[in-house]
Amino acid sequence: MAKEKVIPLHMIPDVGSEVLEIDDERFLQTNEAMFTFFKRTKGEHSPFFLALKERRTILGGRCPECKIVRVPPFERYCPECNFVELKLIEMPDIGFMNSTPPITYFAHSLFQHQVPFGRGRVLLEGADTALPINVYTTKGVLTPRIFKKGTPVKIVFRDKRVGKPTDIFAVPLTELKAAQRKKRGLLESELDWASPKEPKVPKPTRKAKQDLHVVMDQLHDLAREAVKSSRAQNDLAGWKRTIQVKTGGGPFVIQIARKKLNFQEGTIKKADFVMVVKDPRFFQDWMHFKDSLTNAIIADKLWISRNAEFTTVFKLDRIPRSLRRSKS
Amino acid sequence: MKEVAVVGAGITKCKGRWVERTYYGLAQMAVKAVLEDACISVKDVDAVVYGIYNDIFELSAIPEHPLQGIIGMANKPGLRVTTGGATGSYAMLTGYSLVASGLYDVVMCLGVEKATDCFDFTSQTSTPEVIKTIGWSGDTYFERELGWTASDSYAEVVLAYMDEYPEDLTDEVSAKITEILSQQVQNNPYAQRYGERVTAEMAMNSRYVVYPFKLLETCIYTEGAGAVIFASKDKAKAMCKNAGVPPIWITGLGASNEHHVAGKDLRHKLMHRIMSDHLAAQAAYKMAGIKDPIKEIQVIELHDAFIKQLQITMAEMGFTKLGRSDDLINEGLMTLGGPILVNPSGGLTYGGHFVGGSNMFSCWSARRELIHRQLSRGLIHGTGSTIAQFGCVMIIERRS
Repeated sequence: MAKEKVIPLHMIPDVGSEVLEIDDERFLQTNEAMFTFFKRTKGEHSPFFLALKERRTILGGRCPECKIVRVPPFERYCPECNFVELKLIEMPDIGFMNSTPPITYFAHSLFQHQVPFGRGRVLLEGADTALPINVYTTKGVLTPRIFKKGTPVKIVFRDKRVGKPTDIFAVPLTELKAAQRKKRGLLESELDWASPKEPKVPKPTRKAKQDLHVVMDQLHDLAREAVKSSRAQNDLAGWKRTIQVKTGGGPFVIQIARKKLNFQEGTIKKADFVMVVKDPRFFQDWMHFKDSLTNAIIADKLWISRNAEFTTVFKLDRIPRSLRRSKS
Repeated sequence: MKEVAVVGAGITKCKGRWVERTYYGLAQMAVKAVLEDACISVKDVDAVVYGIYNDIFELSAIPEHPLQGIIGMANKPGLRVTTGGATGSYAMLTGYSLVASGLYDVVMCLGVEKATDCFDFTSQTSTPEVIKTIGWSGDTYFERELGWTASDSYAEVVLAYMDEYPEDLTDEVSAKITEILSQQVQNNPYAQRYGERVTAEMAMNSRYVVYPFKLLETCIYTEGAGAVIFASKDKAKAMCKNAGVPPIWITGLGASNEHHVAGKDLRHKLMHRIMSDHLAAQAAYKMAGIKDPIKEIQVIELHDAFIKQLQITMAEMGFTKLGRSDDLINEGLMTLGGPILVNPSGGLTYGGHFVGGSNMFSCWSARRELIHRQLSRGLIHGTGSTIAQFGCVMIIERRS
C-alpha cells in the first residue's frame, strides 16, 4: 500500500495555462501552487501530543498561583500571574460540551473524506478552558441536535495515533456502557459502531402507500433520465451501493451500479446502509430540487445509518441538479 | 491628538472574479478612484497603509511591496496591516493614528484582495479552495486539523448564543434582514449582487452552508479594492472645499481582540458573546461622546459575515439587548422608516467582501450616506479571526 502523502497526489494539477476571452480581450491564466513543506516542531506542546500518542492521556496545564487549569496546555507560562510556569497534570477524559458544536457537511478538499464531522469544545472535569475536539456519534449520522451545550461526553482515542488533535474525538456518554465510561484511554475499536439507533416510521396508511406509489413512478422516470444525462453518469461513475429506504408509505430500495440508478419497492436482505424518512413525498421535493438529502439530514427529516455514507448522499444530491443542467 | 477627517473614498466594482485585473491592477483602480473623489494628486499623500488579509490569496509573502511604486507612492512610507476579516478596519485605525499623532497630514488606506484565483482542480471550482485557504487561519496546533473553517468558527459563536437565548435569532427574522439587504443593494451599482433580488422566502429555503447559516445569509467571496484618504484638520478643510464635499470627521475608534481559546470566564473567550464587538463599540462611543447609540447614530455599515452574526453584533454594540436581536425586525429598528439604516451598501453579504478592503468599502458607503442623506453620524464595524475574536469600530460625523 502506498504511503500517505502530505499533499494527496490526486489534488496536484498539471502544469498548464489557458486563455480566457472577455469583451474581445484575451487574458492568460496559469496553473500555480503555493506550497511549503515543514518538519514542524510541536515545541512546548510536545508533552501534550506525546501523551495522546503514547499514553492515551490528556494533559492540562495548572497555574500554581491562580489555580486555573488550561486544557489543552496551550501555553507554558500563565499570563495572568506574571508568567509563572504551569504544571502539567493528567486530566479526566470525561466532561461536557462547552456549547453546541457546528457540524460540517460541506468540507473543502482536505476534510471531505471525514464529513459529516462536528468540531466542538469540551470542558473536561476540573478544566477552566475547553478542549477543541471532533465530535461523533456511534448511532448513525451526525446531526446538529445530538450534541448540545452541557451534553456529557467521553474522550475516545484513535487506534492509530500520530500525535495530532485528530488522535482523539468525543462521543456522547449516554452511548457508552458503564465499563466503557470508566475505562481510561478508551479506543475507537472498543466502541459499538454497528448498532445505529434507527428512528421508527409509522405503520403505512392507505394515503401514505398511495403517495409512495406516485413517488416510485417519478423515481423510475428519474432513473431513465439519468441514463441519458452525461452529467448524471459522471456523478454515478465508479460507485456501487444498495440502500434500503424506509418510509411512512412503505420501504423501497435504491441501487447504484454501473452508472445506473434503480428504484424498487420492497426490502432487501443486505444493504450498505439504511435511509429513513417519514413522508415519502420528500423524494418529490428532492427530485424537483426543492429540498436535498443533505438539508433533510441537517433538519432531522431524514436519517442514515452510517455516517461515512455521506459520500453517497452527496452523489445522490447531485443527480436532480445534473438532470436540470442537462436539460437547460 | 489632531482631528482627522475622511476626505475621499473610492472603490472598484465588486466581482466574484476579476479575470481582467491582478491585485496590482485593482489597487491602481481604487487609488485612481479615491484621488479623483478627493480632487487631489497622489503627490499630496504622505503615507499609505495597506489592508491585505491573506498572503495565499495574493500568492505572495509580502504582497504590498509591488504596490508601493505602482500606486505612485515610491520613496514614501507604507505599511501593511493584516488582522483577518477586520483587516480593513484595523488598517483604517492605523491610518487614523498616523494622522492624529501628527506624524503625517495625509494618509491613504488601501485595501485590496484577490480570492477566486484560488482554484480546486478536483471539483473544477474556486469556492472549496477559497475556503481551504481561509482554513489556514485557524489555530494550527490545536484546531485547524479538526476541520476549522471560517463558517464553522462563526457558527460556534452563534450556536453558543442560541444556547443562551433559544428564542432569539429566528429564521424568519434573519430571512427578513436578508431581504432588506437585497433591496438596499439596488442603490449600490458597485455591489456584486446589484440587480439580484432575494426574498425572505428564498433566504429561508436556501440550503445550509453550516447549521445555522444558510447560503443566502452568508457573505460572498469578492475580488476588488477600496481606498480612503484621511487628512488632518487644516488639510481636510482645504481639500474638501476644493472638492465641494464636507469633511467627514473621525470622532471615535475602538478595537478589541479576545482570547482565541474558549473558557469559563473573560480571561478566555466566552463563546456566546462577541465581546470584541462590545468592547470596541464601547471604546468608540466613549471617544465620540456617544451615550445612547440608537438615538445618536443614523447609519451603520456592519461587517455581516453572516446575518445571524450581524444580529448579535447589533446587540453587542447596544442597538438592542442581548437575547432580543429579533427586535431589529420585530420592533422595526432596521426596517424602512426605522431609526437605524443598516448596511445601505448591501453589506458584505450582498455588496461584496474583498476581505482586506471590505471595511474601506463600508467606509465609502457610510460616508456616501452621511453626505447624500445629510445624516450626522455613522458607524463602521469590522470583525475577524477565529470565533469572532477581533472587533473594530469607527465613528464618523458630518458637521453642519
